[in-house]
Amino acid sequence: MSRREGSLEDPQADSSISPLPHLESKIQQTHSLARLLTKYAEQLLQEYVQHQGDPFGLPGFSPPRLPVADLSAPAPGHAGLPVPERLRLDEAALAALPPLLDVVRRRQAELNPRALRLLRRLEDAARQARALGAAVEAVLAALGAETRGPQPEPAAAAAAIAAATVTAGVFPAKVLGLRVCGLYREWVSRTEADLGQLAPGGPA
Amino acid sequence: MPAGRPGPAAQSARRPPPLLPLLLLCVLGAPQAGSGADAAVISPQDPTLLIGSSLQATCSVHGDPPGATAEGLYWTLNGHRLPPELSRMLNVSTLALALANLNGSRQQSGDNLVCHARDGSILAGSCLYVGLPPEKPFNISCWSKNMKDLTCRWTPGAHGETFLHTNYSLKYKLRWYGQDNTCEEYHTVGPHSCHIPKDLALFTPYEIWVEATNRLGSARSDVLTLDILDVVTTDPPPEVHVSRVGGLEDQLSVRWVSPPALKDFLFQAKYQIRYRVEDSVDWKVVDDVSNQTSCRLAGLKPGTVYFVQVRCNPFGIYGSKKAGIWSEWSHPTAASTPRSERPGPGGGACEPRGGEPSSGPVRRELKQFLGWLKKHAYCSNLSFRLYDQWRAWMQKSHKTRNQDEGILSSGRRGAARGPAR
Repeated sequence: MSRREGSLEDPQADSSISPLPHLESKIQQTHSLARLLTKYAEQLLQEYVQHQGDPFGLPGFSPPRLPVADLSAPAPGHAGLPVPERLRLDEAALAALPPLLDVVRRRQAELNPRALRLLRRLEDAARQARALGAAVEAVLAALGAETRGPQPEPAAAAAAIAAATVTAGVFPAKVLGLRVCGLYREWVSRTEADLGQLAPGGPA
Repeated sequence: MPAGRPGPAAQSARRPPPLLPLLLLCVLGAPQAGSGADAAVISPQDPTLLIGSSLQATCSVHGDPPGATAEGLYWTLNGHRLPPELSRMLNVSTLALALANLNGSRQQSGDNLVCHARDGSILAGSCLYVGLPPEKPFNISCWSKNMKDLTCRWTPGAHGETFLHTNYSLKYKLRWYGQDNTCEEYHTVGPHSCHIPKDLALFTPYEIWVEATNRLGSARSDVLTLDILDVVTTDPPPEVHVSRVGGLEDQLSVRWVSPPALKDFLFQAKYQIRYRVEDSVDWKVVDDVSNQTSCRLAGLKPGTVYFVQVRCNPFGIYGSKKAGIWSEWSHPTAASTPRSERPGPGGGACEPRGGEPSSGPVRRELKQFLGWLKKHAYCSNLSFRLYDQWRAWMQKSHKTRNQDEGILSSGRRGAARGPAR
């Protein structure tokens, strides 16, 4: 991944640019939001495994880490990318997560209808992912970096996953839900770290 | 060609395969290189079984990677490795499992039966639902708040625990016509309850029942038939005020207002009062308070704080002959009885007995006399009031006599009046 010289995308150049006060505030707020959502994502994951039963909650449980369409875990090289590029990837992931979380919630509503807190957390997570994604997009726009622009959520992908989970067995559906909750946690945590590079006092 | 743009982590990856097949492969378990993911299939998938029954299951490897066999495979159930003697190889690619006398499922999402490769990686999974069919729900009870709605509660079947998610559905219909309706607002007053908020008819009976359904079957309660007017309750009486009765040390007056929602209909309402000493948990109940909005508590301890509550039973509404349903108790209202300066006879106040006046043959006879007066005399209330005024006058005049004779010990009142003459 090449860096364009003298551009805002150059993280080393970032330190020489004095961001506007409102931009700094926006970055700080978004960073705080990401930090909060990281904590919520962890709680969601714990609540999820509790309701699926062992071995889901056991240490060392390692189901297949199947990729979910339109979304994978942050790549190993993610941290080496320029910050704006990382944030673009974060934003894209956060946009892909809400329909996947909705699919998981609908399936869990059948499997665990009395797990009201879990269902609420899944619903909240979808909203929170949208909110954080929008906030990251706003930061990117304020930085003058290219953003995705308004795009419809990948409904077709979600619908296909929903159809697939209905026909698939319960165990694969549980595994898929674990994967989606895990991806949510990874990407929110990743976003927090990437915003931390821009926040006052951050490494950048 | 893939629809939309590739996912964020795929930028440096190879071009992804078509979307829908990839989704299906991901969920249904296509083998992935090195992961062993869903490289096998368990049969049966997600079976439902009775407690105590047996299960024969198989784990068949796909043969991907080539040469994969059932050698070394093993089973776990809810994370616990199953004894090897329960398994046997049916053929080179299939491992069988025999489970007997199954216990009820540990979680409602199903017990996790997993087939593992020799290295412990997960090859496939299936969820077992082991439980019991529902038993007949019973003990349905319903009440209507101010004739506007209907709330019903029931008890699930005799043993309750089915180990499977059991859905309860409250149904109702007008007895002689109309279609079945299903209640929609559940768990309003506990786990087995439902609330029907509107569109209820009066003067015509409803039939109400509960249907319980789970993966193993269904059961239906007996039908309860009722008229809304026979199960009416209302709000607690508002504006409960408790006050002293002049200087009387052993009495408090309680007043309240008819519950406003039904005040135009409460011709025969019954009320109950309960009261307790501040530091006690024992309530005393005054039962016989029919269709009044005031009552006097007697036989109380002087100088004591009492908590008082009132509730209402709107029985007889629109001519209903049924017993009616008591409202909740009103919020507690507190008041204290006055305390006199001199010690009472015998060194203490009389103990109240369930709302009865304090003991003593004179007072008992007087109560009987007043009771008779109430029934037969036109001005019975006037007599009772006069009696109270007389008692208050007696107490005052007794204090005055003691002052004159210089018997009173130096108290605040004595000090305020100056030195004794």
